[in-house]
Amino acid sequence: MDFTLTADQSALASALDRLATPFETKPTDFHGFALFGARLEQELEDGQYFDIAQVPELGPLSAAMAVERLAWLPCTAEIALSMLVRPQLPGDWPRPLAVVENGRPGRFVATAGTVLLIDGERMALAKPAAGDVEAAESLLAYPMGRLRSGVAVHPLSDSETVNLRKWLRIALAAEASGLLQAAIASAVEHLSLRKQFGRPLGSFQALRHRMAECAVLAGGVRWLALKAAATAAEGDAALAALHAQESATRVVYDLHQMLGAMGMTLEHPLHLWTYRLKALLSELGGRSGQASAVARHCFANAA
Amino acid sequence: MEFDWDAEQRTFRSTVRGFLEAYLPDDWESLAHGPGSASQSAFSKKFCGQLSRAGLLVPHWPKRWGGREADAWTSFILAEEMWAAGEPRGGQYMNVNWIGPTLMRFGSEEQQERYIPPMARGETIWCQGFSEPEAGSDLASLRTRADRDGDHYIINGQKIWTSYAGDADTCFLLARTSPGKTGLSIFLLPMDTPGITVRQIPSIIGEGDIHEVFFDDVRVPASAMLGAEGQAWEIARTSLSLERVGIPRFALASRMLGRAVTTLQQSGRFRGGAIDQAARARAACEAARLYSYQIVDQRRHGTPTGPEASAARYATVMAERLVGDFVVEQVPEALSGGDPMLLAHHQRAIVAGIASGAAEIQLNLIATELLRLPREPR
Repeated sequence: MDFTLTADQSALASALDRLATPFETKPTDFHGFALFGARLEQELEDGQYFDIAQVPELGPLSAAMAVERLAWLPCTAEIALSMLVRPQLPGDWPRPLAVVENGRPGRFVATAGTVLLIDGERMALAKPAAGDVEAAESLLAYPMGRLRSGVAVHPLSDSETVNLRKWLRIALAAEASGLLQAAIASAVEHLSLRKQFGRPLGSFQALRHRMAECAVLAGGVRWLALKAAATAAEGDAALAALHAQESATRVVYDLHQMLGAMGMTLEHPLHLWTYRLKALLSELGGRSGQASAVARHCFANAA
Repeated sequence: MEFDWDAEQRTFRSTVRGFLEAYLPDDWESLAHGPGSASQSAFSKKFCGQLSRAGLLVPHWPKRWGGREADAWTSFILAEEMWAAGEPRGGQYMNVNWIGPTLMRFGSEEQQERYIPPMARGETIWCQGFSEPEAGSDLASLRTRADRDGDHYIINGQKIWTSYAGDADTCFLLARTSPGKTGLSIFLLPMDTPGITVRQIPSIIGEGDIHEVFFDDVRVPASAMLGAEGQAWEIARTSLSLERVGIPRFALASRMLGRAVTTLQQSGRFRGGAIDQAARARAACEAARLYSYQIVDQRRHGTPTGPEASAARYATVMAERLVGDFVVEQVPEALSGGDPMLLAHHQRAIVAGIASGAAEIQLNLIATELLRLPREPR
């Protein structure tokens, strides 16, 4: 047990900080729902960041840290699945990767090189052609898309399905961790500047305590996500995804409450993180889905 | 970053488990109620002596005081296993965690020689004289007075919510020697000194846990003062930071959650909402565990512990609450004679947000020091 970053992890963190710097602020002329970072994606591609989980000195834990770091940015790209799930696919499947769960619209489906189809307990892969996918208008702050019917699929075995479900949970938790922290930081900035009754909102204990609870939840999500990426244990993955969805439900509500009407505007960036978190809430069966997995993997020996 | 235990840590944990298996009596589960009860205090003296002889009471202490200078992980693994077993050390966990180390740092040679060896042998029980009727979270406003009288001090006042006071040999007492926050001093006060009266307060926490302690013209030599006059705040801050993640509550909470789930599984009741609730509680326990490990890791590397310790404490409070709610809702028979260990855990868990300081104080610290929100005007 040692929580110090390795030299390679520190170097990666510094490199990611440098790469992320130009993307830290929301463009003032953007008033849409999903801010897509084409240039961010290109830079990650050029720097071969999508392959860091396969680099022996780095591995999935470092990839999870990268996913978390990049989720802080106002702009988004398909990062988490490429970094954490794609290395687990049987054979070479092109990125970007998207998930279509029980036929619903999914993140990045309209631009996906590979689609992972989840149909109840079964999973399959597909390489959609241009006409197989379409963009979907959405309030959620990812580019959402849907799959038209009739695409050729490559079914996955039970063991592949189990493994992929685990890594999808880890990817979800790592992304949620970064989103939660970024959203909290955004609210803290507002509470520090905005004055009412002659003093900053953030000096009112009623709000300070709620924010502190949000911070504790977000920190817990971070630890569980990193641990799951490190151990690759199914129980850890389920716990991380559950705590991520559970915490996001609470934190997203509280943060919008903190921001008041300001948080309802597209001018303020808060929705870019909170409406990504909302997109993650329903994935992989939602909280009940993760809870069933926890019951299977963490309480199996109880009886 | 490494989330696995090394071979030495695994071996140490199994040594501790082996010891517990060998030395906990068959009726331990019915003894485990009320950590301050007379039966458990008596048991703790026998048990801590056995731990001491096995080198498992104070392994992290310096060699001079009977330890082997083991690292922070060793003492935390030990603490996890002890708490998860129902804390058979009783109140002596305080000696091991913070009273001994505080005396090593601030005590006089005479105080160290007098008090530390009996702690290392597992023979002595201490209580912590901090809270007063008018000074809880606002500890600095406490009123118990220690007035200088030649080479003695005369102590007058009252402490309350004092754990283990009924069986304690010595009190780690916080008293006022002059006005203001800098006017507080600490005394190491033998509980058999004339003028001390202890009254047990019946409580839902369990038999013998909390007390009122009255001090009427209690005369102590000036040599009983720990550190210098007015140094109490500095010393208490050190003690409290050691105490904050001192109890690995998540370890017992997690084990009791598993026990409650087993009960439900065996009677075909582990389904639907119970699964959701149990899973949420387990996730919170594991989050609290990793938060606490972060603090232990900081100690291991000699990094000063920051506001993360408050976050770790609060995460633990959240976890205890979820496990407590789960048991009350899903295994209610536990509180009515159905399971002595689940009952004992419930009684300990309900004070998670209160004992060693209200959790709301931690939220204030997190808001100011971790989030850097503006302070509340005073």
